[in-house]
Formats: sequence, structure tokens, C-alpha cells
Amino acid sequence: MMKLEAIIQPSRFESVKDALREIGIEGMTVTEVRGHGRQKGHTEVYRGREYTVDLLPKIKLEMVLPDPLIQRAVDTILKTAKTGKIGDGKIFLSRVEEAIRIRNEERGENAL
Amino acid sequence: MPGSLTPLSVLGPQTEDERNRIRQHFEAGASARETLDALCNLADRTAQQIFAEVLRVHGAAAQGLSLVALGGYGRRLLFPYSDLDILFLFGSEKAETEFRPLIADFSRTLWDLGFRVSSAGRTLDECKRIEEDNAEFHLALLDRRLLAGDEELFDRLVKKVMAGSEKQARPFLLAELTKLTKERHARYGNTIYHLEPNVKDAPGGLRDFQAAAWLRQIAGDQRDGWKNSATEEELSATAVDFLCAIRCFLHYSNARNDNTLTYELQSAAAERSLGIPKGPARDLRRSPEEWMRLYFRQARVLNRLLLRYIEQKPAVQLSLRARLLNAARGARGDMRKGRSFAVRDGMLEVVDEQALSDRTVTFALFAEAARTGIPLSREAERAIFYILKHPELPQKNTEVNWTTLREILGADYPSMALRPMQRLSMLMEVLPEFRAIDSLVVRDFYHRYTVDEHSLRTIEHLQELPDSCDERATHFRQLWKTVERRDLLILALLLHDVGKGMAVENHVTGSLGALETAAARFRLSEYDAAEVHFLIEHHLDMSATMQRRDIFDPGTVSAFADAVATQERLQRLCLMTYGDIHAVNPEALTPWKAEMLWQLFAATSNYFSRTLDRDRLHASDELSLLEQVSSQAGGANKTEVERFLEGFPRRYRAVHTPAEIAAHFQLYQKLGAEPVQTELKARHHSFSLTILTADRPALFATISGVLAGWGMNIVKADAFANAAGVVLDTFHFVDLHHTLELNPTEIERFRKSLADVAMGKAPLDPLLKAREIASKAKPPKVAVETQIGYDDASSVHSTLLEIMAQDRPGLLYDVGSALARLGCNIDVALIDTEGQKAIDVFYLTERGKKLSQQKQELLQEVLQSTLS
Repeated sequence: MMKLEAIIQPSRFESVKDALREIGIEGMTVTEVRGHGRQKGHTEVYRGREYTVDLLPKIKLEMVLPDPLIQRAVDTILKTAKTGKIGDGKIFLSRVEEAIRIRNEERGENAL
Repeated sequence: MPGSLTPLSVLGPQTEDERNRIRQHFEAGASARETLDALCNLADRTAQQIFAEVLRVHGAAAQGLSLVALGGYGRRLLFPYSDLDILFLFGSEKAETEFRPLIADFSRTLWDLGFRVSSAGRTLDECKRIEEDNAEFHLALLDRRLLAGDEELFDRLVKKVMAGSEKQARPFLLAELTKLTKERHARYGNTIYHLEPNVKDAPGGLRDFQAAAWLRQIAGDQRDGWKNSATEEELSATAVDFLCAIRCFLHYSNARNDNTLTYELQSAAAERSLGIPKGPARDLRRSPEEWMRLYFRQARVLNRLLLRYIEQKPAVQLSLRARLLNAARGARGDMRKGRSFAVRDGMLEVVDEQALSDRTVTFALFAEAARTGIPLSREAERAIFYILKHPELPQKNTEVNWTTLREILGADYPSMALRPMQRLSMLMEVLPEFRAIDSLVVRDFYHRYTVDEHSLRTIEHLQELPDSCDERATHFRQLWKTVERRDLLILALLLHDVGKGMAVENHVTGSLGALETAAARFRLSEYDAAEVHFLIEHHLDMSATMQRRDIFDPGTVSAFADAVATQERLQRLCLMTYGDIHAVNPEALTPWKAEMLWQLFAATSNYFSRTLDRDRLHASDELSLLEQVSSQAGGANKTEVERFLEGFPRRYRAVHTPAEIAAHFQLYQKLGAEPVQTELKARHHSFSLTILTADRPALFATISGVLAGWGMNIVKADAFANAAGVVLDTFHFVDLHHTLELNPTEIERFRKSLADVAMGKAPLDPLLKAREIASKAKPPKVAVETQIGYDDASSVHSTLLEIMAQDRPGLLYDVGSALARLGCNIDVALIDTEGQKAIDVFYLTERGKKLSQQKQELLQEVLQSTLS
């Protein structure tokens, strides 16, 4: 089991979600986040008020998947979230030791 | 004689059989009252039997111990899975110690028989004391009923202890009950209109009825006017029966004390016409949505009943200054309107109830609430309700026109009128299209409220912006204060979702159909109807763009700007989106979404002001416009119209209707006879002046100067030129000294003065000097720092000059003069104000080219010195 975290552009979220559903991934946690990597921010002026947009809006997806699904999920996200511009986001993978379903205490991949 | 208790193996099945019989009876159509009575009798009988048996087993007499039913059980409203609230009343502390083992047996046996006993024990002396941290116990004690035990002890409790202590505890109980009620209502967003309401605790639930009964009981004969009319008593009895039936049904369906009327149970309840008394009405088939409307109707009755007794506080907390100003205005209003209503204790009260038979007075009352933010008192609402419920009383002027409605919708606090109008069903009288969503449940796991409640909340969220400390409101506060034609925005919000109550595939189509009928009935102008149409049609676009497009991509911004077309629309659409998302549920508008919305707004707004000269009209491509202008200008020659329109920025087309363009064209045609054409129109608290003339040096500065000389404060202006060099300037100004308003004859002199100065026939200086002497400089309320900036990238032909400065009369003249002195030509100008801040954008050229670096520096220096 691995945990997949993907930070993507908000505008790509619907497409990524639909594509993941198509390969059988329905369960995920979605968070509205702000941050920046190499994209950095920029300064905007509106009616004399200057404001710095240094933390850009992003969407964070989190899901724990059985090993055989990981590569497909990564490929799907890469394919649907990529625009080729700075700011497309990142994918992080990490090993998960255990998963437990609270309702019936099932463990391991059965709990996913 | 001591012995043992009747075995549970005997009592248990007996009790269970009786419970099943009651349930079957209910499911066969018995009323809630019959069911609750039967459940209460079962509990009473069982408790009395067990009590007698434990006394016998323990060899004790009941002297010194009373069993008292409290709360809902005390008032014989015992629902299938409700707790059995029982007080063990002891004659003394010694009795308490002696009876303890007996009570343990009693309680355990009842538990084993499936009764959820919630018990309390007090001595008679303890009942005299006020337990300040346990108001709930004192409130439950108001519904005491002797179940079993020492009658004399209970009699002493009622006649000697409670008689005195309840009087003493009255202020405490009134305050606590009010506090508890407000906290309970706040937990449910202060509304009855939940998609899945809790029929006990939510506003309009049974708890409201009980709280109203307690408040009346506690206040006793202390309050005048707390008595209900016969109609109100009848309505509330029907509502209680209806809600009791639902609560019984929910308990049986959930097999526990769960009072949430879920979507699934709404369908089941509608299927069996739950709560509707036997008769033809019960046999009608109703959809769950129709049945839920019946629920909300009853909930409204109970909520209104309670709110009459709860201390009312203004929803909008006004500053002392605002309150004093409103009081002064209110006093003037009273005199003008023959004292039909007045402000008392911060509420609008009806002084002359008879006058309410004239709907003009009622709507004047609503308009006053919307203008000042002062709420109608509950008694004022009750008086209107009485008139509405008695159609036999004479009523006049029942038709409401757009002018009246516009006054309410365009005010600072529209919701202060719309809320009572909704509670009294008058909103549907004025706007019958709203009926489609009245109390409408649309099953949606994202929305929390009924569609009508959602729509009204959108307006409340906007109205609260100026005083909101909410982080999400930061950017939108100023937008609400300065947005033009708020009335159109509010009308759009009222209608944007009415299509959800229609049998149409896309609710927006239904809402647009509703607008069409409303616009025809109110005789909305073409412009007004088109603006509301735009907002309804595109009310989801901004939200979709910010969430599904890359808002930092210039392509997204320009496409969105093209669809919106004008800055004014953008402001309204942005506020509409803010309100719409916010009203979905309390968590829907996250700070993240608010920020995204703001960034899309700011980027689009900047796009509008920086790309004005990029996109110009090519009249030959505008066949429909040519047709319309030609026809509205009395069949004018299309080639002439084409020549007039050619080269104006597209904004000109976007901000003017074909009728207005036709009027401008007619002025243009007269230029041959009179080289300066003017059109002056009085607007709401301001004037608008259109000037058409051939371009010439310093023209903009000259006109600004004349306006300043006449004491007019320019709040907004556009300056456009077409390809043939004809300038069309529009100035919106406030007549600071009411010169034109109070002296209509001055209007002609003002126009002549404008034409003469513009043509060089009269000098400007004497006008300005006279004004300088007459006006006293007032210190600004808010200091605005001067900012001057250039943008050479946005336009191909011009240099953009952006100025933010402290607004003051004559400012535009000073800026325009400086530009003219330095040989700068104004291609386009956009002038705006935001409170005391002037925000001006000029597209400048010098001999047909962008300004040189040197010229920009020189201009910067001159402007800094002029504006500081």
C-alpha cells in the first residue's frame, strides 16, 4: 500500500478526478491549499491597492492505494494534470504500513 | 406485606405488547394526540405499579416521597423513545437517605422494561433554591405532575414552595430561557428552512412551542399583549398536532430518539399524508416537496409564536451616529407620513394600525426598514399579519410597482424588508415568481437550506459585508458599497434559482422565464431587464471559471471579460457569486474560494481598464446595432450612423443601450447647427451630463472646470472619441449645493455656460474664482495617499496613466489642465470614485504617439505637486 499525494492546479481537478474514477479510484481526500514551488507568486494592483499573490491556490489530493494501482494512478494524474507550464504541481509517494476501517476494524488492503 | 416484585418475564411482555398495540394503532391512522396519550398512560400505569411494588417489597410507606413527572412527560407529551423525566421529591434529607435503595430498585425495573428514566432527586428545601447552572431543571419543573407517592408533600411543593420561588426566579428563568432559545436557534443558523430539519430542536420545531408556553407561564400576567388571538391559538394547535405526528413517526422509523426529518423519511411521510387529519385532504397524493411545504407552513406558525416573546435585537448593529441619524430621519418621516409608524426602542412600530389597510403605508414601512436597517417590531409584523388574514377588511393600493420595489431592493439593508415580507407571505404577493421556490426542498448534499432560504441568505450575506469582520469579506466590502444599481443585483438574486421549482431541464431557463413575466409586470426598462437577465443567465459562470480555468492565464481573463463586457456587470456578478456560494452552507465559501473569486475579479477589472483602446467598434460589422440605432433615431441614414459609431471603444457599445446611442446620434446630427451638444439628466441623487463636440485641446479639462465652477462634484466619467475625432464625454456628478435641484431655471444657464466655455466664447477663470471664494475647504475624513503610475505595455497606441488621489471638487479640472499644459492628448478616460478616493485612468498620447520617458517624468512631477 502506498499513499499518493498530488498537488495540482485547481483548474485540472475535475479532469483528474474523472480520469481517476475511470481507472476505478473513487475514494480520495481533497483539500483546498495554497503554496508555491518554483512558480513563486506575483504582485497585483487593484485600484491603487497592491497585493502580493505569493501563495497560489492549489488542490491537494490524497489517496492510499494498493501497490498494483499506484503506477496507473500516477500515469493518469501526469496525463490529465499536465499543461506543461510552471505550476502544474507535484506527486509524492510514500509507503503505508497499515490501514484500518474504523466501522468494522478491517485491516490492510481490505480497508481501502 | 413484604414479598418480591412481579417478575420481568411477566411485566416485560405485557409492556411490550402494549407498546406494539399503540404503534400499530398509530400506523393505522390514530392521531398523534391519541398516541402520546396512550404512551403516557402506559408509562404512568407502569411507574405507579412498580412504585407500589417497591414500597411493598421494602416495607415502606410513601410518606416523605413523591414521584413527580417533569418536562415533556409532565405535560403528557411522551414520544415513543423519549426519556421519562422523573423527580424524586423528598420531605427531608433523612427521607432521601432512607428511600435511596427503594429508588434504585424502582429505576432499574423501569429501565429493564424499556423506559429511559432520566431522574433527579431534591428535597423540598432544595427546590426553593435557584440552581443558576441548571436552568433546564427549573424549566422542567414548570410542567410538574404528581405520579405517585406522598400527595401532601407534592401539595406543599406546589402551594408553598413553588408559588414563592417561581416568582423570585422569574427574571432568572426569563433571561435563561431566552438565552437557551437563542443559542439553540443559532445552532441551526436561525432558520426553520433546513433541507433535513430537526422537528424538535430546530427553529419552528416543537421546542419553540414549548419555549413560548414556558415564557408565557413564567411571565404570568406581567406582560400586556402576550395573549394570543383565537386564530393564533387555532393555528398553533394545528401546527403542534402536525409536528407531534412527525416526531412520533420519526421515533418509530428510527427506533430511537432521533428527530431529523431526512430525505428518505420525507418521502415516507408524504406517502402516508402524515400529520394531515382524516378527511378528503388526507387522501390527496402529494410529492415529498409539497408535503415539506406543509411542514414549513406549520413550523413558521410555531416559530412566529415564540419570536413574539423573545427580546428582539436589530440584526444589523448600527453605530451610534447611524442610529441618531436614522432617528432624526425617522422623526421627519413620521410627520410626512402622518405618523403611521415610528421608531421605538430601536424597532419600527406601527402607530396607526388602521393605516395598514393601505398597502402603500405597509410598503413605506418596509422601505424604511430597508433604508435604515431598523427592523420591524414583532407587533408591527403581527398587525400586518392580522390585516392579511382578514380579507374582509378594506384594503387598497394592493398593486406594487417597480418604483416601490426598487426603493426596497436598492437600499443598504434590503433584507430588513424582504425577511418580514417572506414571513408574511407578502414577498410572493409582490413577486409571484418566488412562489415556485417557497419552502422548496431540493435534495442536494451540498446545500443546507430550502431554495427560498438560500436566495434570501445570498442577500443577507451581501448586506452584512460593510460590518463584517470575516476574513472572507475583506475584498468585497468596498465592492458592495460602490456597486451601481444594487436593485438589479437583488432582483437577480431573488429570481436566480426560481427555476428550481419548475418542471424544466435547466433551472436557469426557468428562472429566465420567470424574469420575463416579472419584467413585463413591473415594466422594466430594456436596460434593466437585460442586466438582470445577464446576471441570472451567467450566475454560475464566475464560480465555474475560477474553479475550472486557470485564472492566472491571460487568455482565461480576456475570455471571461469578453463574456461580461462591462465593469458594472462584473461588479454585480462578482457580488452575486460571493453571495451565492456563501449561502449554500456555512462552510461553502472557504477563504480559499473567496481569494480565487477576488483574484478573478481584480484581473478582469484591470483587463477592462487597460484594454479600452485595443478593441474598437467597426460599425460595418455591427449590422444589428446599425439597424436598431437607425430605427430608434427615426429611420436615420445608416451610413451616417456608421460614420458616427466608427472607432468608438467597445465599452461605449457595452455601457449604452441602442436607445441611448440613438439619442447620442441625434445630438451628433445637430453638431452642424450648434458645435457643442449637451444632454442633462437628473438621476437618483445625481445628474448625468453627455457632451458631444469636435475634439480640441484641453476640452476634457475645460468641461471639468465648468462643472467645478458650478460646484458640481464629478463622481464618474467616461471620455471617448470616434475615428472622425468627435468626442463623447459623459460625466456623472453630484450637485453639492443643490443649485440645479432647487433652481430649475438655472439648468439652461448651466448648459449655456458649458457650451460657451467649451467654445471659447466665455472665460473659465471667473467661474472658478467665484467658486474658490464660496467654498470652504473641508478636511478629508479619510486621508488617501496620492499614487501615480504608468503602463506602457497594455495599449499599442497610448500610455496609460493611473491616478489614485484624495477626491475633492475640482480635482479632475486640475489633472486635466496639467495634462493639457504638457501637450498630452486624452484618447480615453475612465473616472471613478470610491468613497473619498478618486481613481482615474487616462489613455494618453503626444502627437499621436505614446508618452516619452522624459514626458512621463515631467508629468509625474507636475501631478505630484498639483495633487499634494
